[in-house]
Amino acid sequence: MNTPYKPRIPRRFIGGYQPRIDALEKAQGRAPYADDVTSERNYPGLLHARVLRSPYPRARITHLDTSKAAALPGVKAILTFQDAEVKRLKPTNAGWTDAVDTVSYEGMMWGKFRDRKVLGDYAAWAGDEVGVAIAAESEQIAEQALKLLEIDWDILPYVMDPLKSMQPDAPVIHPEITQTNILPPDPRGGPDIFVNKGDIERGFSEADVVLEMDTGHHNPTQGSLDPWCCLAQWEEDRLTIVSNSYAPDQTRMHVSQMLELPIHKVRAISKYVGGQFGRADTGDQPFFLFTALLAKKSGRPVKFKHTRRDSFHDTRQPALYHCKVGALTDGTITTLQFKSIGDIGAYADHSVFALKFAPAEISEAALAPIPNIKMESYAVYTNHIPGCMMRGVGNSQFNFIFGRMIDALAERLEMDPITLAIKNFGHEWGSCPDPSLKAVLETGAERIGWNEKRHKPGAGPLIEDTKRQGVGFSVHPGWHAEWQEERRGQVQAKITLYPDGTVTLDAPTVETGTGSNTCNVLGCAEALGFLGVSPEDITWVSTVDTDQGMRDCVQTDSAVSFLQSEVMVVVAQELKRKLLDLAAPALGITADQLDINEGQITGPGKSISVKDLLWKGDLVPLSVMISRAPAKQRTGVPYIASFAEVEVDTATGRTQVLKLIIINDCGTVMYASGAEAQQIGGQVMAIGEALTEEIIYDPIRGIPLNFNFIDYKMPTILDMPKVEPVLLEVWRGAGEYGACGIGEGTLTCTPRAIANAVYNAIGTRIDEIPITPEKVLQALGRI
Amino acid sequence: MAEISSTSSLQKVAIRINGVLHEFKVGTDLEPSTTLSVFLRERLGFTGLKVSCDEGACGACTIIMDGKAVLSCMLLAMEADGKDLLTIEGLPKDDPVIEAFAEQCEPGHGTALQCGYCTPGFVMTTRALLNENPTPTLDEVREALSGNLCRCGCYDGIAMAVLHASEKIVLRGGQA
Repeated sequence: MNTPYKPRIPRRFIGGYQPRIDALEKAQGRAPYADDVTSERNYPGLLHARVLRSPYPRARITHLDTSKAAALPGVKAILTFQDAEVKRLKPTNAGWTDAVDTVSYEGMMWGKFRDRKVLGDYAAWAGDEVGVAIAAESEQIAEQALKLLEIDWDILPYVMDPLKSMQPDAPVIHPEITQTNILPPDPRGGPDIFVNKGDIERGFSEADVVLEMDTGHHNPTQGSLDPWCCLAQWEEDRLTIVSNSYAPDQTRMHVSQMLELPIHKVRAISKYVGGQFGRADTGDQPFFLFTALLAKKSGRPVKFKHTRRDSFHDTRQPALYHCKVGALTDGTITTLQFKSIGDIGAYADHSVFALKFAPAEISEAALAPIPNIKMESYAVYTNHIPGCMMRGVGNSQFNFIFGRMIDALAERLEMDPITLAIKNFGHEWGSCPDPSLKAVLETGAERIGWNEKRHKPGAGPLIEDTKRQGVGFSVHPGWHAEWQEERRGQVQAKITLYPDGTVTLDAPTVETGTGSNTCNVLGCAEALGFLGVSPEDITWVSTVDTDQGMRDCVQTDSAVSFLQSEVMVVVAQELKRKLLDLAAPALGITADQLDINEGQITGPGKSISVKDLLWKGDLVPLSVMISRAPAKQRTGVPYIASFAEVEVDTATGRTQVLKLIIINDCGTVMYASGAEAQQIGGQVMAIGEALTEEIIYDPIRGIPLNFNFIDYKMPTILDMPKVEPVLLEVWRGAGEYGACGIGEGTLTCTPRAIANAVYNAIGTRIDEIPITPEKVLQALGRI
Repeated sequence: MAEISSTSSLQKVAIRINGVLHEFKVGTDLEPSTTLSVFLRERLGFTGLKVSCDEGACGACTIIMDGKAVLSCMLLAMEADGKDLLTIEGLPKDDPVIEAFAEQCEPGHGTALQCGYCTPGFVMTTRALLNENPTPTLDEVREALSGNLCRCGCYDGIAMAVLHASEKIVLRGGQA
C-alpha cells in the first residue's frame, strides 16, 4: 500500500517526494555534528570536563577535599560549590522557555520553580550533577580525578513513589519551593483545578452511564544517539560555545544571563544535531555554565560530553491519571473529570506544561462540546530522574487515558468507539462532527480493516494454540497547530540572490533530523517560482551561529517545516519588487508595468532576463531579510490517529505489533518523504514506550540500573512491524500553506492504540505501560 | 586477548586505513588503552564514524576491518595492528550503498536517514553485508542490520535502501 498522498493543491516543489537535501552528506558521513567539529585536532590544548554525579538519590556534601584530585598530573582546573563564581550563580530551571520564544532569566516560563543550583552541594537524584567539575587533559584523567575527591556525604532519606511523596511524613525535596513536595500553583499553569466548566456533580448524577479508570504512564527517555556535548572557549572577555543545543539563540541568552555577560560577548554555534526529541527541555542546562567557568579558570578550551550513561538525563514525565466519564445511552458524553499526579522527578523544569497546560488546551481544542469538565493536577517531586519534554509535552500521557476512556465507554454503551469519538469531540470554534477527526478515523478504520478485524474483547480466534489478535486505535487533537502562532514571536528568513541566479537561504534552524531544512529549500524554490529557481540552485546554511544576528527558529512543536516557508513567501515578494526597481531604469519602463516569469522580466515591448540584468549591474548580491509574526487565524485544529493490530501470546505474555497505520492531517504536506519518515520513524519510540522501554530502579537504594542501550531496550529493525503512513489534507491552517507540524504527534496515540488492541485481543486491560510479558501474564492470571 | 598482550610490547603499530599504510608509535601517537574509535576520530580526523554508546550496543561506530564489519568502540587501536581498515571516508561518492541511502524517498517508506547520526554505521554494516552477499533477501537485510540502532526510526527506508543498493550492484555487473 505505497499510495502517495494526493495534494489538495498541486504545487511545483512543496509537498513532493524527493531525497532530503542533506542526504548525501549524511550518507557519506561528512555532515558535521558538534562532537566532530570539537575534536582535539581542531582545538589544540583542548581540555575535557567531567562532573561529579551523585551516587545517592538524595544527599548533601558536608565536606570536600580536592587536594589529591588537584595533584593528579593532567588535571588543569577544578570548580566546586565552594568557589565564588559558582556561589554567585542564580538558582535556575532547565526549561526557561518551551523554545518557541527566546526568554530571559526574569521572563522564564516557570519562574516560581527555580529549584536548580548549578554545581550545588545538594543532590536530588542518583545521577544528579553535584558539587564538583574537573577539566583535565583527557576524559580518563578527569574521571580518575573525580575518584580522588574526598567527600563526606550526608545521605538523606529519599522518596520515589509520588503518592508517598505527597504524604506529610515524606522527606521534603526542595523546601525552598514547597514544603509538601507538591508544586504550588503558578501563573502559567494555573490553580490545582485548572479547568472547571459546567457542573460535574450534576453531570454525573444525570448521566445514564458513569465509568472510572486509572492509567499509568512511565519514564521512557529520548535516547538521542548524539550525546550532549558543548565546547567553551574564551577569547579575552568573549565566550564561544559550540554545542549540539537545538536552540542557540536561547543558549546564548541563558549563558549571557547566568554568567552576567553582555549578549554580544557570547557566541553560540550549532551544527547538525543527532536527534533532539525534547531532551533536556530547552537546554538551559547547568553544564553550559560550569564548562564555561572551567574554560575561564583553565584558560583553555574545555569540552564537556555526556557519556551514554550521562545521556540518561531526563525522561518523558511519568503521570498517573484518573478519569471519570458520564454519558447518556445515546452516546453523548456529558461529563469528564481528569485528575493527574505527575512524578516530576528531582526538578520541576517543564512538568506543569505537561500536566496542566497541554490538557487545558485539549479541553478547548477537542472537548469543547462536552458541557461539564473538571481537570485537576498535582506535580510532585520525587528522587527520580527529572521528567521533561519528549516528543511532545503531556500529550502522550493524556492520550493514554483519553483513548482508554473512548474505548471503555464505547464498550459499555455497545457502540463503535469510532462512532463515539466522532459524535463527541470538536473544537470550540468548529463544528461537530469535526471533518478532520472524521477523516483520520474513517481512513484508519479502512486501512486496518476495522470492520473485519475488530471483535468483542478476547473473542477472536485462537491462533497456534496460544495466540490472540486484536485491533485498537487512539486519536488526539493537534492542538498547538492553532496555539503555537501566539507566542512564537517573529520568524526570520533571508534570501540572497546572486547574479548567476543561484541563491543562499538563511533560514536559521538547527537541523535535528526533522527534515525542515528540506521543507525550507522546497519553500524557497516555491516562493521564487517567478525566477524559475530549482531546489538545486539553493544553498541552505546549515550552521546556526548567533553572530549571524538572526534568531533561529527552534525545532519545537514540529513547526519549522512551514513557519520559515511562510516568511519566505513575503521575502520573495520583496525580492521581486527590488528586481523590478532595478529593471525599470534598465528597460526604460516603470516598475508597475513589469512582471517576472521564469526568470524573464517583461514589460510592454521589452524584456530582459534576471541574470542579464544582474550581470550588468554592480554584482552586489540582492539580499532580503524579513522578520514576521506567524499568521493568526481561527482555524480549529487537525487530528492525528494511530490504528494498531497486535498479536499476544497468552503462554509467554509477549505482545507483538503486527501493523500500525499512522494518520496525520497535515493541512498541507510540505515535504512528503520527510513527513512519511516522521510518521514511520516515530513508531520506534512509540513501540518502545508501549512495550519495552523503561528505566528500572533498585528499590532498596533508589539507584537507576539500566542507563545503557543494552538494558534500556529501544526497538531495533527486527522489532518493527510494517508501518503505513497516511498523510491527509483536510483541515487548513493559516497563511499561504495552512500547514501544521506533525513530528511529535506521530507517536502520541500509538501506545494507547496498542493497549486497546491488546485488550481487544485478550479481553483484559493493562493500563500501565510498558506492556511487558509479566504484566500480560499477570493480567491473564497466569502468574 | 592473547593478541593484545603480545602487541602491547610493540613500539609501533602499522595500520592500513582506506588504502594508506600508517605507522604509529605507542606512547606518543596512541596509548595502549586508546580505543580504535577514539583514535580514528580524535587523532586522525575520521569523524564519519560516531561514538554514541561506546559499549558495542548501537553500531554507530561500525567500520570494516579485513572485510568484516566491526564495532570500533569495542577494539583497542593496538588491535588494528597489521589490519586493513575501511572507514566511511574511504568509500567513493558513487558507492552504491551511499547513493541508495542518499536517494531513498519513495512513497510509503520514508527516507533512509533523518538526523543522520547512525547513518555511517548503517552504511558500513550494509557495505560489509553486500560484499559477502550482494543480493540479500529482506529478512537477511533485517537480520544483518539488527545490531544498529536508529532512534529516528528509519528502519523501513534503510531496508529499502539496502535492497536498492543491491539492485545497483547487480546493474553494475556485480561490481560494488
